[in-house]
Amino acid sequence: MASAASIAASIASKTKTKKKHFVAQKVKLFRASDPLLSVVMWGVNHSINELSHVQIPIMLMPDDFKAYSKIKVDNHLFNKENMPSHFKFKEYCPLVFRNLRERFGIDDQDFLNSLTRSAPLNSEAQGRSGARFHTSYDKRYVIKTISSEDVAEMHNILKKYHQFIVECHGNTLLPQFLGMYRLTVDGDETYMIVTRNVFSHRLSVYKKYDLKGSTVAREASDKEKAKELPTYKDNDFINDGQKIHIDGENKKMFLEKLRKDVEFLAQLKLMDYSLLVGIHDVERAEQEEVESEDNEAEEEGESDGGGIGTPPDSPSNTLDSNKPLSPGEFDPTIDVYAIKSNETAPRKEVYFMAVIDILQHYDAKKKAAHAAKTVKHGAGAEISTVNPEQYSKRFYDFITTILS
Amino acid sequence: MSSNCTSAAPVSASKTKTKKKHFIGQKVKLFRASEPILSVLMWGVNHTVNELSNVPVPVMLMPDDFKAYSKIKVDNHLFNKENLPSRFKFKEYCPMVFRNLRERFCIDDQDYQNSLTRSAPLNSDSQGRFGNRFLSSYDHRFVIKTVSSEDIAEMHNILKKYHQFIVECHGNTLLPQFLGMYRLTVDGVETYMVVTRNVFSHRLTVHRKYDLKGSTVSREASDKEKAKELPTFKDNDFLNEGHKLQIGDDNKKYFLEKLKRDVEVSVETFCLTDSVVLCLLSEALSCFLCVRVCQFLATLKIMDYSLLVGIHDVERAEQEEMDVDAVGEEEEYENDGMGGGVLTGSFGTPPDSPGNPLNCGGFFGPGEFDPSVDVYAIKSHDSAVKKEVYFMAIIDILTHYDAKKKAAHAAKTVKHGAGAEISTVNPEQYSKRFYEFMSNILS
Repeated sequence: MASAASIAASIASKTKTKKKHFVAQKVKLFRASDPLLSVVMWGVNHSINELSHVQIPIMLMPDDFKAYSKIKVDNHLFNKENMPSHFKFKEYCPLVFRNLRERFGIDDQDFLNSLTRSAPLNSEAQGRSGARFHTSYDKRYVIKTISSEDVAEMHNILKKYHQFIVECHGNTLLPQFLGMYRLTVDGDETYMIVTRNVFSHRLSVYKKYDLKGSTVAREASDKEKAKELPTYKDNDFINDGQKIHIDGENKKMFLEKLRKDVEFLAQLKLMDYSLLVGIHDVERAEQEEVESEDNEAEEEGESDGGGIGTPPDSPSNTLDSNKPLSPGEFDPTIDVYAIKSNETAPRKEVYFMAVIDILQHYDAKKKAAHAAKTVKHGAGAEISTVNPEQYSKRFYDFITTILS
Repeated sequence: MSSNCTSAAPVSASKTKTKKKHFIGQKVKLFRASEPILSVLMWGVNHTVNELSNVPVPVMLMPDDFKAYSKIKVDNHLFNKENLPSRFKFKEYCPMVFRNLRERFCIDDQDYQNSLTRSAPLNSDSQGRFGNRFLSSYDHRFVIKTVSSEDIAEMHNILKKYHQFIVECHGNTLLPQFLGMYRLTVDGVETYMVVTRNVFSHRLTVHRKYDLKGSTVSREASDKEKAKELPTFKDNDFLNEGHKLQIGDDNKKYFLEKLKRDVEVSVETFCLTDSVVLCLLSEALSCFLCVRVCQFLATLKIMDYSLLVGIHDVERAEQEEMDVDAVGEEEEYENDGMGGGVLTGSFGTPPDSPGNPLNCGGFFGPGEFDPSVDVYAIKSHDSAVKKEVYFMAIIDILTHYDAKKKAAHAAKTVKHGAGAEISTVNPEQYSKRFYEFMSNILS
């Protein structure tokens, strides 16, 4: 009867719709546990598609650093499955961030796929002031929820940051800022910034440190230590006798980059940033993989969704190399911060180290805190609130000493 | 020597750079147009088709789909100002319904999108009722008509029944093929647009055009109209010329069947089995359907529609092409971006326009056409006086018989007398008269 024919027609229609054109991406439903995540996915998808219709300029103009694109969606009885009916999405300085992505070697389509093929995942990591983190499903990018003050600070530094990236050819330990957005869902505004993941998208990190070069109040709390992957701090690092075993060449390159980076930060009067350190233990990872395979064999078909590699059924990013990488191996164009341990290291490790949290400006608030802490600990004590110049020096010196 | 093809290089360099790892069928679309509203239309259709590609096709439409809309408001600041206004709004009515209709009319969404976005729609000379504005897609496959908000309301009123009718006749109808309905807001001004399939060919030129209603009062092209490049002639002009559309018996029969179904009321609503009764007389009648009248236009109290007739003269077209080639050879160094002296209007695609995939394959001889693209085309029969191709379909179906019409009826009866054929009658009379007139002009 006619109805069967039309059902068959509508099922066939999706292939019919796309049969004449090869389009690499699949149908994206933007399904997520949280409407906010659906909106991020939709928004990034929209923004990259919009940009694909805007010619890439020969160079950026001053206006590009003040620009934004805003879109407001109001649907009625349409597309309600996965998206809220009303939401807004704003992208700040689209052309600037497109240019930055290019300078960081990130193809816009890959960026789009990472953030939209599957929902970003909640991350346990907590930033300063308990900021919320997500990672893209393929763990290449980190999405951090930030404040409107952070957005304002980004705008303040963006031109100089961009210039710095141009000059160092994208070769830096500073955060790679890739996109900045404001989402409005249910009347609530959320600001988000996307950066490249410091850690690997494949190799698991078993120990993590947040180092500032200060010794006051720089220890992981008991609550923190109870987490699956606690963020340890300066004192823990020293007390653990932790070392970073990298060879002379790597150390030299690393410190050169760091020196330039902190000089830049001091010039902009930024401070309170950290060096994020993640350690991948090759043997330990191999052991975990063996164990998880055993588990899989026992509980046939049940995957524990842990952090080792990509879950078998997740759609792969085209940048994934076709040949499997052996233990401790990585693709340096993806895991850009990875450094192998040297041959004399006691354990075979891979280190991931980069600067994070650079948006704190030295201002009246800091000046007030400086005065307060001087009173509390005395003038000679190393207090965490110093001026940006002092901060950068202390930071750099500390990092130099931890690299053996 | 002049050349306008200079903008290609930087665009394509950036395109390959951005897209180097992926093969994606469409090119970079800049939505460049002579007017902001056209850019917004292009942007909007591009956006809505993309949105729909992320919404799964449902097994069947739901009542809510006929009340749905999607609305988007764009506010850019110092961004993307080249071709688009900074602020605009775009609303699509009943997206799922129109997607389904496009499918039933065998129009692939990607092709639809390409036709409307790869290059700006073109202004059309023709004027509908009340001087409504017409545009055609750059490839002449689709017509975009500016309508009133009352028309939008009427569309909503008839949409469910229209959809049902299309389902039942399997898209095989002379009624307009409604493919999309939008509201654009630019500079605070709202414009409503409806997209339909072009009645005429995207390739073959129409040399003569008629708008026929079956009425004889005030049904003659004005002098102003006749001065145009392609005037719209009317009923009286047609009759005075003693014209007949010579399509042959089979085509005539098939055509009138569709017409009847489209316009008339019938008391009976019977139906042979759903399987087709095959007529063995000719291919043209292979879809001869049972007389299952769908009670459409008349029952919906719609009237004042017309049969739009376009005539392509095969010999004349061949002559015109030879003239063009001659001109092209003379001016071979001049590239004005349109290709060698291609006529405006629908004569083929300018050589440098991006090819729609539907163009590929099959080189057509004079008077030949692809019936899956030019769906309304009918060839003149072999023993016809002149070799012609006719394009005939119903247009302007959104006028509802209501108080306004009733008032006009009264007024015209006074002016012309009760016996005169006046154009304002009731829908049932209108449909009967319409059908009668059309039967007579075919042979």
